Amino acid sequence: MKIEQADILVVDDELGMREGIRRLFASQGHRVDTAETGRLGVEKGTLREFDIYFIDLKIGDIDGVEVLAEIRKVYPEAICVICTAYASIDTAVETTRLGAYHYVAKPFAPEEIQLVFDRALERRWYILEARRLRVEQERRLLEVSREKSRIRTIINAIDDGIVVLNQQAEVVLFNPQFLKLLQLEHDLTIGQSIFEVLPDQFKGVITDIFEQKDALKAIKQEIVIQPPAKLVVMANSTPILDETGQLLGFVSVLRDISELKQLELLKSQFVNMAAHELKAPLSAIQGYMEMVLDKSLGDEPDIYDGYLRRSLERSKTLTTLINDLLNISRIQAGKVRREIERLIPAEMAEATIEFFKNEIHKRGLTTELDLDKTLTVDADREELQRVFTNLISNAIKYNREQGTIRIAITSDGRYVKISVADSGIGMLAEEKERLFEEFFRAKNYYTRNITGTGLGLTLVKKIVDGYAGKIDVTSEYEKGTCFTLYLPMVM
Amino acid sequence: MKKKILMVDDDVDLLQIFKPFLEKAGYDVVTANDSVEGFELFKSTKPDAVFVDLAMEHFDSGFVLCHRIKSLPEGKSVPVIIMTAASHETGIRFSTQTEEERKWIEADDYLDKPVPARELLAYINEKIFHA
Repeated sequence: MKIEQADILVVDDELGMREGIRRLFASQGHRVDTAETGRLGVEKGTLREFDIYFIDLKIGDIDGVEVLAEIRKVYPEAICVICTAYASIDTAVETTRLGAYHYVAKPFAPEEIQLVFDRALERRWYILEARRLRVEQERRLLEVSREKSRIRTIINAIDDGIVVLNQQAEVVLFNPQFLKLLQLEHDLTIGQSIFEVLPDQFKGVITDIFEQKDALKAIKQEIVIQPPAKLVVMANSTPILDETGQLLGFVSVLRDISELKQLELLKSQFVNMAAHELKAPLSAIQGYMEMVLDKSLGDEPDIYDGYLRRSLERSKTLTTLINDLLNISRIQAGKVRREIERLIPAEMAEATIEFFKNEIHKRGLTTELDLDKTLTVDADREELQRVFTNLISNAIKYNREQGTIRIAITSDGRYVKISVADSGIGMLAEEKERLFEEFFRAKNYYTRNITGTGLGLTLVKKIVDGYAGKIDVTSEYEKGTCFTLYLPMVM
Repeated sequence: MKKKILMVDDDVDLLQIFKPFLEKAGYDVVTANDSVEGFELFKSTKPDAVFVDLAMEHFDSGFVLCHRIKSLPEGKSVPVIIMTAASHETGIRFSTQTEEERKWIEADDYLDKPVPARELLAYINEKIFHA
């Protein structure tokens, strides 16, 4: 608590005075500078800050009072001791009013000025210390505010919603995502009770937390904001305890799990649909079998032939359905191993027509083919075959008796265009829209006797998508439907 | 006089199974493949009981058809039974329907598919016509 080496400036026109003070304090290890005129004193004294100024009140050129004022103008905290031969109450008052720390009356004994000096130096020390503390405090405040804003920025940038509550369930901190996830329209105010703003679904969680007296543990809960899965959040609420285990409040982190919930919902819908579709042919088969065994319609085997044939047909659909389901799941899981080879779609179309020869003949259908055999695509043979089988069997099933099937394979320079058109029952606009949905089948007067899985076109679309191709559909109800596939052409 | 039953189902096989069986058991059976045809047949044939599949053109076509039948003056007193395989799989649980929904649909009963033909016959004999 001491200044070991003080910087002292003596402003006095008397050499004896200047030297006397210099000798006294230099011998104590202090650095003493002098000025023999008032002007020089102002110049030196304002160039840098001295710890102590000794200023003679009566100097030749300018008044000591003016020197004092000039120095204090630059250094308002400068410690100035006025030395005066004209010591009077008036001058003393005047100089202290102007900011002098003290004054000594000339002539003075060394111990007199030493006493004043020691006290002045102590005062100087306090000033310097206060200054240092002020600077440090400012630096710390700046650091704290930087830290705060850093944390604030981090919290605001987090994708999860965060709210911190105190013991009274009042809001201490929150981020914008919190408001968004709970769909709170108005900003929260710090200190506001959380119960005023929370949706009912969430209030229970908070009440639970505050009410569990002995076992303070984190609570995880799903909160449905917009049912069924439009907006669902997982709230993870953890109590904040002090070192004695006393509850200070708690922090709740909200995560948007809507997407996950939607997927779950889609998955379970798919499973439900699949189960329903698997059950339908089984119900029919079961019904027919019961009839056959029951024999209540008579003993003639002929009566039951039709029942057995339909049972067989429905069981075939069931097999196809299961295969389609497996294929879709393989494609979705990315587990399809494609063996890519150069294929000529025209040849595959011809082979497929040949395969369905009997069905085409039975319904009296005519085929019109416009096939460019020079066009090739790179694809997996089995997959492309499945596309042709699905499209051509649809063109047969949904055609009218004596109708036509037109197949064209052409190119627009970049894509191989494969179109399969029928002159059949066509589709309504709403049916066309849902065409590629899993299990969707147009249900109307014309389709009542047509069996199918509702997965064929879903599969076709997934395959075509897998080759960066696309599929277009044009259809007119009661007139016919045309599917056009675009597959990247091999140049 | 024979009692007349209207069966509406988009699965033609189920109609082919029930129709001859119930006819053999002494009922008159008319069938329709969709709810539009079903509604027309109801008006033209005036059946004594109606069995309707739930999921036809839409998953709830059966509800709508039932409501339309019950909205007719001549439909009020005719029992309409909704049959579905969907109750377990689609999560449509009739027990959880609200009073309002039940009032709107006005179905007399619900049956879970598949219903074996003999059980359906027993149900018709005992529950519907109290034979």
